[in-house]
Amino acid sequence: MTRTIDDLPPAVRSRYPYRSRFVQVNGRRMHYVDEGPPDAPPVLLLHGNPAWGYLWRDAVPPLLAAGLRVVVPDQIGFGLSEKPHTHAVHTLDNHTANLIALIDRLDLRGVTVVCHDWGGPTGLGALLSRPHRATAVAVMSTWAWTTPSSAFHRSVLPWRMMHAPLVGPYLLGTRAAMPGRGMYLSVVDRSRFAEESQEAYTTVLGDADERTLTWTWPRSIPIGLPSDTTGARFRWLEEGVRALRLPATVLWGREDEVFPSDVFAARWHEIWPHAEGTHLVTGKHFLQEDSGTEIGHLLADFATRATRAAHDPGAAR
Amino acid sequence: MSALPIVEPAANRPTSHRGVPLLTEPSVGHYPEFRAFLARTFGLDTDRIGGPGLLSVDGRFYELVFLGRSGTPFPSGVEIHALLPGLEPLDEDVADRDLWAVLEWLVDGVGGEWSAEDLVTTGRIYRVPAAEQK
Repeated sequence: MTRTIDDLPPAVRSRYPYRSRFVQVNGRRMHYVDEGPPDAPPVLLLHGNPAWGYLWRDAVPPLLAAGLRVVVPDQIGFGLSEKPHTHAVHTLDNHTANLIALIDRLDLRGVTVVCHDWGGPTGLGALLSRPHRATAVAVMSTWAWTTPSSAFHRSVLPWRMMHAPLVGPYLLGTRAAMPGRGMYLSVVDRSRFAEESQEAYTTVLGDADERTLTWTWPRSIPIGLPSDTTGARFRWLEEGVRALRLPATVLWGREDEVFPSDVFAARWHEIWPHAEGTHLVTGKHFLQEDSGTEIGHLLADFATRATRAAHDPGAAR
Repeated sequence: MSALPIVEPAANRPTSHRGVPLLTEPSVGHYPEFRAFLARTFGLDTDRIGGPGLLSVDGRFYELVFLGRSGTPFPSGVEIHALLPGLEPLDEDVADRDLWAVLEWLVDGVGGEWSAEDLVTTGRIYRVPAAEQK
């Protein structure tokens, strides 16, 4: 049976009160919400591991209030989208192709692409593949290169141990460490997260077999080892984003320990000297949990200006 | 807390037992040293797809079923099955403790930068019951 937002616990539904929609992408069923006027400038909000569209719930209202169209997909393998068990489905290239298919199927034009975590490598790969459809780009707690990698991702304790052979399927699959304790440890206001959000992430990844992507995606992060599987794709990504001259903005969590702002936000500014920011907000890796509304206002202002500038270059400011 | 797993000869596999899959790892070579340890321990370099590996934990038996995948060195993956007599259901708590003991044995056996101590610390951070009981 296909679950929708209406099938989720009332507390989750009330915080994400949007209509479930589905679209077939790259051979899989993707869940998304699509709110606001269909002819308004679209903003595409992309999440990573192990989240789903719910992560953006507090950012959506300010974007809608600004008159924008908001499209929020659940990456295949997460949320209310299809969750293939076969690990070979979950390559970076397949996930990028999923988003390209979404952009094509919805015929998004003049889109502002907003990237968090794996929403970065996948969303930027999609943007580079469909550059004529994008107006602007925003990044937060994400990356698109091989070096520097995150010290957190290079360390055995706990990150590499968590997804090591056999340990990964147990700790992240059987024991659901990522949507459970993992997210809890990566927000600032943990009691609020436990009260308002935890259930939303665990309820959509209820069975061990549904959590395959939570331990296969960490294995796709290049950290300079011979076993890296995505180095070539990330080199292509870096070359591509360096050449991008779209309006860009950088938002980051002050307390981010996974992608520290002094390394990763700074790197985005080196790649995009024209980018706005860094807009620092309260937040660790899942900064939307602590500062979702503030992020929504920052994105609404940025997307509105970028769209206006695209239509009237003389009015960029 | 379960005892240290013991590598058993295939001849010790108990008769009239069935396998209950507990864990599937499709990519044991994600860190190649894990594949090397399993190949070394169960003689897989020379045997390729032969019989499964056998472990016992406190007298309970676990089978390691090795998987092959085109284009990937063997074994590409491994399933861990609990061996249970006849139609007896799985005792999930016991199997979970034993599985954790197997993971500690595995990580320690791989060695180098991998240690059971770090596994236990990781398990405690993420509140894995078997790790918290240690």
